[in-house]
Amino acid sequence: MTRAQQTLSIGLLVASVYMVAFLGLAPLPAKIQDDIIPVLPIWAIVSFGAYLLFKLGYGVATFNDVPEAHQELMREIQEARADLQKKGVEVD
Amino acid sequence: MAVNNTLLDRLVGLAMLALASAVFLYYTIWTLLLPFVDDSHPLQSAFPPRVWAIRIPVILLLLGGAVVGSFLSVVMIRSNRKKALKARQKEAGKKSS
Repeated sequence: MTRAQQTLSIGLLVASVYMVAFLGLAPLPAKIQDDIIPVLPIWAIVSFGAYLLFKLGYGVATFNDVPEAHQELMREIQEARADLQKKGVEVD
Repeated sequence: MAVNNTLLDRLVGLAMLALASAVFLYYTIWTLLLPFVDDSHPLQSAFPPRVWAIRIPVILLLLGGAVVGSFLSVVMIRSNRKKALKARQKEAGKKSS
């Protein structure tokens, strides 16, 4: 089963369960039906946004510089530049 | 591997973490918890009327979509103009040679 199929099937499952609740096909206490069910999709979107921001912030807070890899990368860029210039390719 | 995690980076990251958690908590209490709280409870005074719990995210989403859309269109128009200019220059170059 591919990733797309998996995501699609989970999405369809959640959507159908929500449809059943939204259309009142399953008996639920009135308070929950009127106040909570209609608000769930927007709550899910806002929570997803908050989760993404959380992940971003965590990544930014724990990101460390690596000076050795930086030196190595700079050296490789120089070598590639020299090599390409020798072969007549325009660099930069 | 030397660790060089500047203070500013960590502060920005922690601020984003705190903001995300605060938004999640506030919004969850607002939409999912308040319906079960009596109207006379002091907690109700810390939240605006519940219609705004729907309006604010929708407005933000529409604004975000508008910003992204306009940025995309500006970039595409600029790139097309550059392409047309280059094509015209090539034509002029070919004709004169």
